[in-house]
Amino acid sequence: MLALVAFATAAFWPLAPLLQTLVSPTEWASILEPRLASLFGRTLWMSGTSGLLALSLGWPAAVLASRLRLPGLGWVLFVLPLPLLLPPLLIAQAWHGLTGIDGPWASVWSLGVAYAPLSALFAVRALRHQQASAHESALLIAGPRFAISEMFRISAPAAILGAVLAAVFASTDFAVPDYFASLGDKFSVYPAEVFNHWRSYQGDPATLEAGAAVAAPLVAVSALVLYLAFTLRDKAGALESNSSRLARSVAPGILAWPLAGILIGIMTLLFFLPLGRILFETGAAGPEATGTWTARSADAFQDAIARGRNDLGNSLSLGALSAGFALLVAPLLAHFWLQLTQGPSKAHKYAARLFGTLIALPLLAPSVGTGLGAILAFNQPGWERFYDSLFMPGLVLGGRYLPIAVFILAERMARVPNSRVESAALTGMPYLYRLLYVRLATCRGAWLLGAGLVAVFAIRELDLAVLLPAANASAAVRYYNALHFARDNFVAAFGLMIAFLLFLPVALHALLHKPDSK
Amino acid sequence: MRWLVPANRRHTNCYAEGMKNVLLPLLLLTGLTSCGRAPDLVVYCSLDQVHSEKILKMFEDRTGLEVMGAWDVERNKTVGLVNRLLAERNHPRADVYWNNEIAHTIRLKKAGLTQAYASPSAVGIPAGFKDPEHHWVGFAARARVFLQRTDKAIDLPPRIYDMAEPRYAAHGAMAAPLTGTTLTHFSALSLSDSAEHVLTWLDKAEASELKIGAGNADVMRRTCEGDVDWCLTDTDDAAAARRNGHPVEVVFPDQQDGGVGALLIPNTVCMIADAPHPDAAQQFIDFVLSAEVEAALAASDSEQIPLRPGVTAPDYVKLPERDFRVQAVDWAAVADELDARFPDFQKKFVK
Repeated sequence: MLALVAFATAAFWPLAPLLQTLVSPTEWASILEPRLASLFGRTLWMSGTSGLLALSLGWPAAVLASRLRLPGLGWVLFVLPLPLLLPPLLIAQAWHGLTGIDGPWASVWSLGVAYAPLSALFAVRALRHQQASAHESALLIAGPRFAISEMFRISAPAAILGAVLAAVFASTDFAVPDYFASLGDKFSVYPAEVFNHWRSYQGDPATLEAGAAVAAPLVAVSALVLYLAFTLRDKAGALESNSSRLARSVAPGILAWPLAGILIGIMTLLFFLPLGRILFETGAAGPEATGTWTARSADAFQDAIARGRNDLGNSLSLGALSAGFALLVAPLLAHFWLQLTQGPSKAHKYAARLFGTLIALPLLAPSVGTGLGAILAFNQPGWERFYDSLFMPGLVLGGRYLPIAVFILAERMARVPNSRVESAALTGMPYLYRLLYVRLATCRGAWLLGAGLVAVFAIRELDLAVLLPAANASAAVRYYNALHFARDNFVAAFGLMIAFLLFLPVALHALLHKPDSK
Repeated sequence: MRWLVPANRRHTNCYAEGMKNVLLPLLLLTGLTSCGRAPDLVVYCSLDQVHSEKILKMFEDRTGLEVMGAWDVERNKTVGLVNRLLAERNHPRADVYWNNEIAHTIRLKKAGLTQAYASPSAVGIPAGFKDPEHHWVGFAARARVFLQRTDKAIDLPPRIYDMAEPRYAAHGAMAAPLTGTTLTHFSALSLSDSAEHVLTWLDKAEASELKIGAGNADVMRRTCEGDVDWCLTDTDDAAAARRNGHPVEVVFPDQQDGGVGALLIPNTVCMIADAPHPDAAQQFIDFVLSAEVEAALAASDSEQIPLRPGVTAPDYVKLPERDFRVQAVDWAAVADELDARFPDFQKKFVK
């Protein structure tokens, strides 16, 4: 109950003015206007295609990197999350610089590539806990090919959930489509229409709700897709991992080199090409520029460190607070959700899916609306110290991205054998102790990963950072503030610095990580 | 109840361990970083951070006051801080808003979010760039200009309205009038030449080969990359292109005999109604409107154009009425026109 109250305060209180429009059918009428219907349709196909692309790149990468022994490619799993740490607009600019692509398809490609690691990360989590007995049976009965196809089968629900989240993120992004629209074929997307309603905001509830009303159909469709993803996950069923024996990696034999080639190809698209281009842009300049590429690049990194270090420190604190909130609340919500999922009746299943969709709403809501709602909720006389401190954005951002941590943790908790929980219950162990000592004790990796992702998304968040006082002095604001102004060297260097800084905890976690279920 | 857990499993209470080893140090660190003393002045600023934070630092060094700045981003069409001011209207947190344009400042005044302050530093700034009721003052401007490549012969339109002519349109670009200075520019044109005239021209421009970009920096970048030969942009974007080593130069539009002149869009500064630190706010407004700050902004990489006659500026910064003719504008009327025309522009370009 405490977790629900904390989550409601952080995530739903700021959303209160927006959510009431979701249940008001009159607000939906505008979607029938042909111009908006066209924008809406385009946004759906673009985000859906981006999600499919994320799935088609992230899922195989997860299987190949985490479960096959490919020559010299043990490091791939380690760097797989890195593209997620780069701002999508930076990746879009890199792809345009590399290939000259523009228009809607360029946007689909860039967003798909940018969010592919999300699908991969979810799939890796599922694959890590495949039971040895099932895997060995597959190997014995039909050989490595069948074993690999089994890996795809068991990781499908998780990979699809990751891809759905990728599609959700793509559907709310208007910066990348805006960028590619400025370079080639003119097109617009629905989030731009939503944003243009916020810009007419007059500080009154009516204009706030007008923006929310325009956003409502997109939120509702995203929620519906998420609900379907949960249904799929339930139909596939979670596999318990019986702790002592997890499936070992497969040596693919003669397929090793072709599969290694595929994995290298995917990593080139996700990682090497964009990162190489961004690195090149740290020293790129026009034909009349003076100095060498190396000197300009070094200057750009020095400039980025000098101007951005305080903001980076602030962003890290903000990320830490958001992660802290997720560390505290995610286990309780994940466990509650899991109990619903594992309930005896069909009603429990429906309730669990609805609950999963409900807790995802803060993630689906437009961030500008959330920011305005947070100001209205927390900017009260007597609350100045809290409103001006990092705790307020930490709470709001932690609440917004908490669903990611809950999804990851719940998926992992579901693999803890029920027999253990039931044994603990039989001894009279209270609920909280069962959660702490039985469920969570074996899920440390997932717990930290979820909180880490919350921190990463909190640090990357821009719209809320502009609106919430203490979050304004952040790396995201400085980065995007410089982005429009053709200071490409600084922007590229600072973008890489942000990614590197965010990657450090991932790297440390990977180096120090011990498997959960020992 | 701890006895319920076998001794060999007690160490696995990772929740408690996590709280102790991870969360508490993080919260302590964050608490320390967020418990600095409260600022003496809060400035919301939509001029680029790289230029404006130097001015804020100068002010801090002069006065010893601690200033908290907040900045906006182009991706949000630079309306994030305006929205924040509107949302905070019942309990204002900002003292001063330094806007890099003028229309939203007037919007704030109309919403009752600004208060009058007749700064002595505003003396010398032309009357057309000051609010008669002293709610805002303009300074350090950007001009709307053509940026053309210098490495080839360019057929450049002499007037804004010539951009859509086929001989020019195929090689040029402009931003959609949905945001920033382009929105202000076309609202000003709509006011001076009628809404119907501007909307008809925008139809013609859209049907022509003229490239319509998302923003001024985007079309500038396309010109630098050689996708187009020229674009309509702002002087600060043009300055960035030149400083990045691209072969480009600025040409002021509508300078022929009888031409309306180039539009000059100033930064504006205003004091927020019920500002928590009114004395510091007045001090800051006096400082930012000084000739010294206009000169500093002119010498900065963004090459802001001083409005006050006699301010020292580098040779490469062109000055109004000395180097180019300026379009006369009633800013309050332009702000009204902007509100009226924005839905039309949105329907035309967001589809």
